[in-house]
Amino acid sequence: MSDEAIPRQSFTDKHRKVLLGGLAVAIFLAAWQAVFLVVPFNKLFVSKPDLIWDALVDLIVSGDLMRDLAISAVPFVYGFSAAVVVGVALGIVMGWRERVSYALDPIMTIFYASPLVALAPLVIVFFGVGVSGKAIIIFVLSVFPFIFNAQAGVRAVDRLLINVVRSMGGTERDLYLKVIVPSVLPYIVAGARIAVGRGLIGILVGEFFAASEGIGYAIARFGDLFALDRMFACIFAIMVIAVVLTEGIRWAERAAFPWRVGQ
Amino acid sequence: MTDIRALEADIAQAADSGAPGRSAWYRLEPAILGTASIAVLLVLWEVLPRLITMSAGTKLFFTTPTQIAGTLWRLFATGTIWTPLGVSASGFALGLGLSIVVGLPLGVLIGRSRTLNAMLDPFITAFNATPRLVFLPLLMLWFGLGLEMKIVIVFIGALFPILINTYEGVRNADKTLINVVRSFGASEWDVARLVVVPNAMPYIVAGLRLAIGRAVLGVVVAEFFGSESGLGVMMVQAAGRYQVDVVFSGLIVFAALSLAMTAMVQVLESRLSRWRPQRAGGE
Repeated sequence: MSDEAIPRQSFTDKHRKVLLGGLAVAIFLAAWQAVFLVVPFNKLFVSKPDLIWDALVDLIVSGDLMRDLAISAVPFVYGFSAAVVVGVALGIVMGWRERVSYALDPIMTIFYASPLVALAPLVIVFFGVGVSGKAIIIFVLSVFPFIFNAQAGVRAVDRLLINVVRSMGGTERDLYLKVIVPSVLPYIVAGARIAVGRGLIGILVGEFFAASEGIGYAIARFGDLFALDRMFACIFAIMVIAVVLTEGIRWAERAAFPWRVGQ
Repeated sequence: MTDIRALEADIAQAADSGAPGRSAWYRLEPAILGTASIAVLLVLWEVLPRLITMSAGTKLFFTTPTQIAGTLWRLFATGTIWTPLGVSASGFALGLGLSIVVGLPLGVLIGRSRTLNAMLDPFITAFNATPRLVFLPLLMLWFGLGLEMKIVIVFIGALFPILINTYEGVRNADKTLINVVRSFGASEWDVARLVVVPNAMPYIVAGLRLAIGRAVLGVVVAEFFGSESGLGVMMVQAAGRYQVDVVFSGLIVFAALSLAMTAMVQVLESRLSRWRPQRAGGE
C-alpha cells in the first residue's frame, strides 16, 4: 500500500511545477472566456479564446498563416545567417587579437548602446520594403550578440588546456576540435538565444513599416481592420514561434553542453 | 541572465588595477587605439563624398558627421528639439517607473513563493520570449496614439528584465541568513527587507540596465508607428523628407539618453552596495 503511495506522491511532487503552470494557464483562459458573460462583449476591441481559436484554425486551414510566415522567414534566414557568419568571425578575431579588440571595442559598444532600430526608416527608404531592407534590419539587430559572445568565448579558452594538448603532441586539428570549439561554441549558442529575439523584433519593425506581406504586416492589417480575433491568432503564432526558438536553443544548450548547466 | 559586457568590464578593471610596472604606451594603448579607430571612421565618412562622385540620388541619402553635428547644434540652439524630446522622455520615464514599481515586488514575490512561481512561469516565459512589439497594433487600438500607449509599450518592454533579475537575485539569497532572521522572529516582510532585497541588489541593477535599453527601444518603436509627437516621430518624418542628418541627430540623442541613464544606474549601484564587504582576493 505504502509502496504504491510513495511513487505516486513523488509524481505530483516532481510535476508540481508543470501541473501548477498548466492549471494557471487554464484558469487564465477560462477567466478570459467567462468575463464576457458579465462584461458586454465588443468584438471590435477585444476577443475571446474561442473566437481566437476559430480564427487560428481558419488561418491555418486557408494557408494564409503559413504563407505569411514563409514570407517573413526568408529575410529572417538571410539576415540571421549573415549575422552568424559576420558576428562570429569578427568576435573571434576580436577575441584572439588584443589590438583589434582595443580598436573595435569602443565602436561596437557605441553601436550596441544606441537604439539601432531608429535607423530602420532610413534603411527602408534606402533599400526598399522588400527582402533586402528587412534582412538588413535583422542583421543589424542580431549581429551584436554574436560578436560579443564569440569574443567572450575565445577569451575564456583555457590557455592551460591548449598547452596540455600541445605538450601531449596534439595537432592543430586536435586543438580546435578538443579545446577551442567546445569552449567557444556554448557562448555562441547563448548569443544565438539573445539574437533570435532581436531578429524577431527586426522582422516586426520592417513589416510594420511598409511591407505588403508577411506576419508583421498581417498583424498590423488585422488591427486596422478591427479583426481582433485574427490579430490575436497571429500574435499567438508569433508567441509560439518565439518560445519554440528560444526554449529550443536553451534545450540544445543543455543537451550539447551539459557541463555548462551550472552557470 | 549573464551580462557578458558587464563581466568583461569587471575583468578588464581587475586587469588594469594590477599592473604597476607597465610603460605608459602599454597602459594607454587601448584608449589610443579605440579613439583612433573612431576618428578614422569619422574622417573617412567625412571625406567620402570628396573622394568619389555620387549620383544625385545617392547624395539625397548621404550626410556627413559635420552636417550631423551642425544639425544637432541647430536643433538644440533653436529649441525645436525640446518639445519632442520632452514627450519621448516622459513616456520613457513613466513607463520605466511603472515597470520598476510592478516588477520589483512581483519579482520578490515569485522568488519567495514556489507556488506562485510555478503558476506564473508559463506566462513569464512566453511573454519574455516574444518580442513585445507584436502587441503594438493592439495597444494602439486600446490606448490610442497618445502618451498612455507609449507608457504601456515601455512598461511591458522593461518589466521582464527587472522581474526576472529580481527573481534570480531573490532565489540566490543566503538560506542561512534567512533562517537566522526568522529564528529571531522576523516576519516575511522583514526577511524581504533585511536579507532578500539587499542581497538581490546587484541582480536588480543588472536588470535595470537591460530594462533601460528595452525602454528606449519601446519609445522609439512606439513613436515610429503610432504617435503624434516625440523624437521618433520627428525622425520618421525627417526620413520621409530625406533629411538624413536629422535622423542621425535623433539617433544620437536617443543613444545619449540611454547612456546617461545607464551611467546613473551605475552610480546608484555603487552607492547602494557601499556596505558590501570587498570581495576576497584583495581587489
